[in-house]
Amino acid sequence: MNKAKTVKSLLLLAAFSSTLLLQGCAAGESSDGKIHITMLQYKPEAVKAFEKIEERFNATHDDIHLDIESPNEAMTVLKTRLIREDYPDIVGIGGDINYSNFLDAELFADISDLDVINDIKPAYLQIDKDLEFIPQEGVYALPYAANAAGILYNKDMFEANGWEIPETWDEFLSLCDTIKATGTNPLYFGYKDTWTCLAPWNALAVGLAPADVCSRVNSGDTTFKAEYAEVAEKIKVLLDYAEPNPYAYSYNDACTAFARGESAMYPIGSYAVPQILSVNPDMNIDSFPFPANENEEDNVLNSGIDLQFSVMKESKNKEAAYEVLRFMFEDETVQIYLDDQGGIPCKEGEFTLPSFLNGMEQYIKDNRMSDYHDHHYPSEMSVDALIQTYLMDSSANSAEIFLDRFDNEWVRYNRDLIAKVKKYEEGQK
Amino acid sequence: MKKTKKMTDRQKTYILMVIPALLLFVAFNTIPLITGAMYSFTNYRGYGSYEFVGLRNYIDLFSDARVGNSYLFTFKYAIAGTILVNLLSLLLALGLNSKIKCKTLLRGVYFLPNILGGLIIGYIFSFFFTYILPAIGSAIHFGFLENSILASEKYAWIGVLIVGVWQAVAMNTIIYISGLQTIPADIYEAGMIDGASRWQTFKDLTLPMLMPFVSTNLILSTKNMLMVFDQIMALTKGGPAQSTESISYLIYKNGMDGGQFGFQSANAVVFFVVIVTISIIQMVITNKKEEQL
Amino acid sequence: MSTSTKNFVPEPIKVRVKTADEIKNDKDSRSNIVLTILLILGCVTILFPLYMTIVIAFKAPSEMTNDIYGALSLPKSFSLSNFAEAMRVTDFWHSLGNSIIITAATIILSLVIHSMAGYAIGRNMSRKKGFKLIYFYIVSGMFVPFAILMMPLVKQTANLGLDNMVGVVILYTVFYMPMNVMLYSGYMKNVPMAMEEAADMDGASAWRTYWTIIFPMMKPMHATVAVLTALGTWNDVMTPLVIMSGTDNVTLPLAQLNFQTQFGTNYNLAFASYLLALLPIVIFYILCQKQIIGGVANGAVKG
Repeated sequence: MNKAKTVKSLLLLAAFSSTLLLQGCAAGESSDGKIHITMLQYKPEAVKAFEKIEERFNATHDDIHLDIESPNEAMTVLKTRLIREDYPDIVGIGGDINYSNFLDAELFADISDLDVINDIKPAYLQIDKDLEFIPQEGVYALPYAANAAGILYNKDMFEANGWEIPETWDEFLSLCDTIKATGTNPLYFGYKDTWTCLAPWNALAVGLAPADVCSRVNSGDTTFKAEYAEVAEKIKVLLDYAEPNPYAYSYNDACTAFARGESAMYPIGSYAVPQILSVNPDMNIDSFPFPANENEEDNVLNSGIDLQFSVMKESKNKEAAYEVLRFMFEDETVQIYLDDQGGIPCKEGEFTLPSFLNGMEQYIKDNRMSDYHDHHYPSEMSVDALIQTYLMDSSANSAEIFLDRFDNEWVRYNRDLIAKVKKYEEGQK
Repeated sequence: MKKTKKMTDRQKTYILMVIPALLLFVAFNTIPLITGAMYSFTNYRGYGSYEFVGLRNYIDLFSDARVGNSYLFTFKYAIAGTILVNLLSLLLALGLNSKIKCKTLLRGVYFLPNILGGLIIGYIFSFFFTYILPAIGSAIHFGFLENSILASEKYAWIGVLIVGVWQAVAMNTIIYISGLQTIPADIYEAGMIDGASRWQTFKDLTLPMLMPFVSTNLILSTKNMLMVFDQIMALTKGGPAQSTESISYLIYKNGMDGGQFGFQSANAVVFFVVIVTISIIQMVITNKKEEQL
Repeated sequence: MSTSTKNFVPEPIKVRVKTADEIKNDKDSRSNIVLTILLILGCVTILFPLYMTIVIAFKAPSEMTNDIYGALSLPKSFSLSNFAEAMRVTDFWHSLGNSIIITAATIILSLVIHSMAGYAIGRNMSRKKGFKLIYFYIVSGMFVPFAILMMPLVKQTANLGLDNMVGVVILYTVFYMPMNVMLYSGYMKNVPMAMEEAADMDGASAWRTYWTIIFPMMKPMHATVAVLTALGTWNDVMTPLVIMSGTDNVTLPLAQLNFQTQFGTNYNLAFASYLLALLPIVIFYILCQKQIIGGVANGAVKG
């Protein structure tokens, strides 16, 4: 960090010239004698649940005041705050590449001495371990809720027509043909928001490609071109069964269309259910894992950590932050969150799963699950936009162009990481 | 003797008067410019530790397809936009400067887009392109319009362009009108005696007199068009298929959000150099033109 | 004046005989009706999006059907409920207040700081190399894209405790400095030294002379600077977005960006909110249209 000093001294120069003119503009600290804990969580759709949790916490604690922020575009807000070195005490984020990066930047505190860890299902702690670029000692995140992605379907519509839940790729396609023949869209996509392209992509990828494909590519054992060929082929087939020109409609539009019965199925994660129900509260939604394979036994449910908490290293009140986390993991609090957002609790214990996960329950119980592949893609590579570009490309060799580009750009965006991991592995030897 | 002393006091005051502006400018323009240039030699993510990587970011810039595409898009947009804006606003200015009814009202209406915020206008047009235009398209059975142009990789940029031009025309129109008003009438009298046609009058008399305003407008609109951001944020977010990512948008998106602080700083430095170069070229050319006339 | 400054400050046109309008149009007075009609028709392109915004904002979501008629017909009743809801969701009065404070503070700071600098530079740049250098140094800031300053400024403002409205105001004051200093110093070229010399004789200090005589004399330029600066700051999204994100303070346009996801597909609510956000500046424009257009035109001629 020595090099940062030059920057710092330049900044100081600027500070010197301007603070003379303008000081004391920042808001003052509140002086109620309480320890203030700020939590920034990244799910704005869960703001109601968190307001309730915040209120309950503050009502039961005299010495600690909890302040939960749930901004829109939360990751941008969080990263801007990190650039500003204005750290919250606790962050609630997803178990994805951002977690890996923040951890790699040594932003998080080791919380292995927190007793709550023993209540968390080991499978989810393992997912977080797999997200570490370089294996770390200790625990840096507490998985809170998981989600699952596959196909959501309109249960009433299925029952009225006597459609069966498909278990293989062929069954799925023939179901789509049947539905299409009735004049309803089998599927609906909101591809205007590029990130939604990742929902069917991930759901297909967990069934068709190895779970550790990214690290295997990094170590040079394989290529994406080899591993993702089938995923690329199948995601394009889905377009035949969706509304025309899905690139015109956003995630919101797609949720609304599905809620209004404009399609029988919607390939998206369980996280979309609250949004869909807000449009049509009486809708009967159920789900099933994406039948990506010819054999049912090969299918895997796409499930990952939707929300997890980490304590920032910069937090000055680690004990108080622990107290907040203990409260977050009380059964009652977990239930408040689940009632509002659905999802799968990462804590051991008897929680009722929401009914829209019925079709996935067996996979969850059998632990036939695999994490979202995009949780390992660097966000600046914008794989979602690559997929969107590929889907819109109607040339004959579009898949080849796309997969070559995937492999090429991967190397460039992960260059520093690959070098770092190599160096670490050599050090281990 | 007394007078010289006064003058030095006066000089002191002059210097004191420049200092606040100068300090602010150094602190919030020059220093960040230098820091930004420095970050461009690092692999900084915006947080955590970083290393100096020499010229790697600059080398990468020239091989990065996404950056290349953002330059292509931005230039395509700026060139088409500058031409369209200037043609339309010149026509409008000629019209609005003629003897017409409700002149003030009409000028007022045509200037309106300039005072409205780009982001909100973008949202409104986004609805128009997604729902109204396709509905009109299918009502008149015009296949091209039946799909939202914002969803088309080929034509989405035209949607962004329409909104950009819609807003920018107003400002340039006002500038051209002020230009037209500086042209003394006797020049036209001379033209009329010669029996020149209307087009000839415009070409030989009006346009040369208007040249300083044309150059102001060209420089102004090129610069604004090159920095397009709000419209992209509201209309396409760079999509579909990354076809409408402007340079400013890419720097914001990947620099702030994507952990490419260092790399995008290099992009910003190059962008700065490009803007300065273009402005200088434009000035030299228009200066020559003016001198010739 | 050297060639390179010619672009920034064109020589003011002192002789303005009479406008071309009269003579030119005496000849073809019959064309003006056709032209008027054409121009009125052209207004449709300006007014249609606004019409669309207004009717959608007043409609209930149930009135929106999937055809053009559903979106563009007049609402059955002009209900204000969308507006009440939009005000609540976006915390309208708060963000309006912030926008007003930021714009007003920027204007005041600009009028004071930029006019002083413009005056000092304008009076000295023809004789003193230093001032000429400062002039070009500041004016060159016009070509620095915000994109390059953005990321360092986020860090810098935060380190100085300026990641708030004060910081945004300071940044605006810096961003508009090149244009405004150019305008003021250009204007000073037309103001003869006689006034200051007379005041000098009376023994008034230069400082006093400036505030009592010169500053009031620059009134036309103040109007131009105020209008141009206000239009830029009022509608800007990017600066508050990166400097103040994550705080409770938002500006009017930023609120629209932040609540975009909350509007969902309730376009009626969204459009009511857009209309509310546009309204203050439109009202202001209707009231001061002449000054605004005049100010912009003045800036263009001088700039």
